Amino acid sequence: MKPVLLIAINFVREQRWPILVLLLWVLLLAFLGLATDAARQSEDLLFVFKQVAVYVLAFSVFFGSSAIFNDRRSRRILSVLSKSVSRQQYLSGLVLGITIACGIYCFALGITGSWTLGEAGFPIAQVWFLMLCLIAACALAGTVALMFSTFLNPFFAAGATAAVMGLPAMVSYVTGSLQWGYVIPVYALAATVLKASFGAPSGLPWFPIVWAVAETLAFWLLSARIFSYVDIAVSVE
Amino acid sequence: MRMDAALEFVDASKQYSGLFGRRRFHALEGFNLRVETGEILGFLGPNGAGKTTAIHLAMGFMRPTSGRGQLLGKPFGDAGTRDRVGFLPENVALYPRRAEQLVRFYGALNGMKAATLGRRTAQVLEMVNLQDDAKRNVSKFSRGMLQRVGLAQALVNDPELLILDEPTSALDPLARVAVRDLLLKARAAGKTIFLSSHLLSEVELVCDRVAVLHRGRLVRLGTTSELLQAGQRIQIVARGIAAANFTDAVARNGDISFSVPAGQQRMALERVWQLNGEVISVNPERHSLEEIFLQVTADTSKPAGAA
Repeated sequence: MKPVLLIAINFVREQRWPILVLLLWVLLLAFLGLATDAARQSEDLLFVFKQVAVYVLAFSVFFGSSAIFNDRRSRRILSVLSKSVSRQQYLSGLVLGITIACGIYCFALGITGSWTLGEAGFPIAQVWFLMLCLIAACALAGTVALMFSTFLNPFFAAGATAAVMGLPAMVSYVTGSLQWGYVIPVYALAATVLKASFGAPSGLPWFPIVWAVAETLAFWLLSARIFSYVDIAVSVE
Repeated sequence: MRMDAALEFVDASKQYSGLFGRRRFHALEGFNLRVETGEILGFLGPNGAGKTTAIHLAMGFMRPTSGRGQLLGKPFGDAGTRDRVGFLPENVALYPRRAEQLVRFYGALNGMKAATLGRRTAQVLEMVNLQDDAKRNVSKFSRGMLQRVGLAQALVNDPELLILDEPTSALDPLARVAVRDLLLKARAAGKTIFLSSHLLSEVELVCDRVAVLHRGRLVRLGTTSELLQAGQRIQIVARGIAAANFTDAVARNGDISFSVPAGQQRMALERVWQLNGEVISVNPERHSLEEIFLQVTADTSKPAGAA
C-alpha cells in the first residue's frame, strides 16, 4: 500500500499546476458569492456552480490519458519500476492520484458551493452528494483514460475515452432508455449534477455511484492486465 | 552443487517490430550469460549491440520474445526481488525535487522504514559526494550531478545486486575515481555488479570478468586477465645487445624489446645471456581491452563464449 500512496502523492505533486488552474474556477464562484446577492441571483449561482463542477471531468480524462505517457517519455518510469513496485501498484498509484487531484477540486468546490448556494437556500447535504457523484465520475473517467493510455498516445486515449463514455449516453438519448446511461455511468453522474435545481431538488440516487466504483475497479484490473504486457522502456515518441 | 547466479539470461531473445509486425529488428538473439554472486562483470559492446535491451529485460521493463532469465533466483519481472537490486539507467531521469527528498522517495518505494531511510539517505549522498547539495532541487543539477543522484538512489536500499548502465559516462575524472572506489568497496562487501560501460579503461580496472556483446549476440566472455593476455606470447626487454639479434625487436632508450611464443621463452633468454645481454623484464604480452573490443566487434562470426 505504501508504494501506491507514494506514487499517488507524487502524481498530485507533479500535477500541482493544472490543479491550481482548476482551483481558479472555484475562486470565480467564491467571487460571485461575495459580489452578488445570493438570494436574488440563486439560479445564476447554481448555473455557474454546475458549469464549474463538470470541468473537472475533462481534467480527469486529461490526467488519465497523459500520466503514463509523461512518465515514459521522460523515462522517469524506469527509476520507479526499478524499485520493488509492481506495474499494478504503479497503476493503482496513478488511479488514486487522479482521484485525489479531482477530490481536491471537488472538496474546494463543495466548501464554496455550501457557502454560496447554502446562502441561497440550496440543501448543503445535496451539494456534497453532487461532489461525491463528481468524484466517482472522475475516478471512472480517469481510469478508462488510463487504460487506453497503456497502449495509445494521450490524444487518441482521450478520444477513445470520450467515445466509450459518450456512446452509451448517446444510445440512451436516442432510444430514450435510461439503462444505457448506466453502462458507463459517467454521463449519468454528470447529468445528476447538471440537473440539480432549487425548484425540484433531485433525489440522492446512490446506484450510479456504486456502479461507477465497481467499474473503476474493473477498468483498473483490465489496465493492469494490458500494462503487464507493455514494453515500458520502448520510446513512446 | 552449482550456486544460483545473481543474474542469468537463458537463450534470451528480443525482437522489436514496427506497426503490424513489419520491419523486425533483433536486438538480442539467443543470449546466454551468468553473472556470479560477488563478481563485477563488465558488459561491453558498441552502440546498438543490445546491452541496454538485456538490462531492461533483466529489470522486467520488457519481456523477452523467447528465452528466459532470473534475477536473484526469481524470474525477470518479479517486483518483490527488486528491493534487493539497485539500478542506474543510462539516461538518468528524475522528478524535480530536492536531492535528499528524491533519494528518500526511491528508498521508500523499496519499502524502507523511515528510521533507517533518513540515515541511509545521508550516507549515500555522502558516498556520491553530494552532501552539500542535498537540499538543492535536482532540476538545477548538471548532468554529472544528476548521474550521482541516480547512483545514490540505486544504492539507497543497500542492494545485493547493482545493475549499472553507463554509470560514469557524465562524470569528471575525480568523480570517476570515486565511483570506481565505490564499486570496489561494494564488491569487497560481497555485492554483485553488472556494469555496462563504454569506458574500457574503467572496465579493465574494476571488472573480474568481461562479456562483449555485438549485434545482439555474445561474442566474447572471460576473465579480464584472460582476455587481456594476448595468448601464448611473452614480452622480453633486454639491455646491452643489438636489436638485429632478434626478429621484430624494437630498440628504445638503450633497451630492446621483442616478443616470442611462450614455448621459446627459455631459448630466447639463453640467447640474450649468450650475447652478454642483461634481461630487464619478462612478461606475458597483454592487449588493451580496446584492442580486444575492436577485434571482436570487427569479427562477428566468432561463436558466443569463445574466450
